[in-house]
Amino acid sequence: MGGSHIVLAVTELRLVGPPEPDDLRGAEAAVYPDWEAVYEDNVVGIYQLVFRRVGNAADAEDLAAEVLMQTLKTLRLPAPVHNVRAYLVKTARTVLADHWRRHYAAKDAAAELQQVPPDALTRPRNSAAADRAERLLSMLPGNFRRILELRFLRGYSVREAANELGVTESNARVLQFRALRKAADVGLEVLT
Amino acid sequence: MTDSPADRVARFVDDLLHGRRPRRFDASQEEVEAMTAAAGLASARVGADLPSKAALDRIHGRLAAALDESPALDRHVTRRMLLRTFGTAAAAMVIGVGLDEVATRQGKAPDQTGGGGGSTVLMPDGGAWKPVASVTQLPAGHAMTVSTGAIDAVIVNEGGSISAVSGICTHLGCRLQPDDAGKKLDCPCHQTAFGWTGKVLYYRLKAEPANLPKIPSRVNGDQIELFVV
Repeated sequence: MGGSHIVLAVTELRLVGPPEPDDLRGAEAAVYPDWEAVYEDNVVGIYQLVFRRVGNAADAEDLAAEVLMQTLKTLRLPAPVHNVRAYLVKTARTVLADHWRRHYAAKDAAAELQQVPPDALTRPRNSAAADRAERLLSMLPGNFRRILELRFLRGYSVREAANELGVTESNARVLQFRALRKAADVGLEVLT
Repeated sequence: MTDSPADRVARFVDDLLHGRRPRRFDASQEEVEAMTAAAGLASARVGADLPSKAALDRIHGRLAAALDESPALDRHVTRRMLLRTFGTAAAAMVIGVGLDEVATRQGKAPDQTGGGGGSTVLMPDGGAWKPVASVTQLPAGHAMTVSTGAIDAVIVNEGGSISAVSGICTHLGCRLQPDDAGKKLDCPCHQTAFGWTGKVLYYRLKAEPANLPKIPSRVNGDQIELFVV
């Protein structure tokens, strides 16, 4: 079907909407000729990106579909790979912010989610998922680290974690809440 | 009563850790921060953030349905492109996205080489459908090399769906060896491997080799046929 010829020949910027500075960079980079290529290359990456922001498969599936749908409606193809990915990430941020606003009345979720790096779909991720979690947890003080390790890495229930830590369940929930806020504070970007 | 911020966040965390869609509620900014951290930690469990095949199928189905219902899209997307994008070929490719492929794709930037971007389909001039194996020779979860004289191919049965890619490494032409357990095709020459869809999984080369060309395949009676010369 001659896909590779198209890739080399088309370098024109065809994004709808104002380009980000980075969008102008990849003039000689590869190009997505059609939706098949965009979809195949990015569906998993988009799913992972949103999963890391919502933490569950049901929401991740809905949001990934939404991101692709919105991009499909506005993106003109062929377009450079770099631009399409930047656009997908930008769309993902908006969709995620909407999600938090709609379901959790979060007014400032948009700002929070700006932490999704614009190159999230291309950036090499050197460490395994569990390593990243451990790195984040290692930045937390004692009991904060322990409650999150027990809950997220070892799968303890609140009751089991409370027993392990020698506190009441109610205290364990409070400790977990504070630990998560601290984690958000010190380095959420470690995880994404 | 379980209504303090700590309790609500604990419920949210429980839902995540049990793989449930979390219940919705009006959260404070502090709670949203904590929940965002929880989502990040929940996804850090190995493999947690990888979509199931069923999830990919449903995403694909939704996009296809939306495209069907939306004439407004015709301005951007031609009918022909839609059919090509969300027809059976694309479905087969989506189904073929496996864990290995996802995990190893992360360390590199395939768009920085000329070859790595998309996959081409090998459509030889004067090609014809030729039987290369019987269906019973290729049970689900297996790949096998076949040769038609002019073309070496690997045929793959991924959960009942038959597909085929070139059996020759795109680097220097070594013959690929199927690895059923790893769902990949290994190049014996330079530690390069391709997924069953032909995508480069990993390589120890200066530049990323191109993906394997796909070869049109079909099942005709009890025969697997390739469109080859």
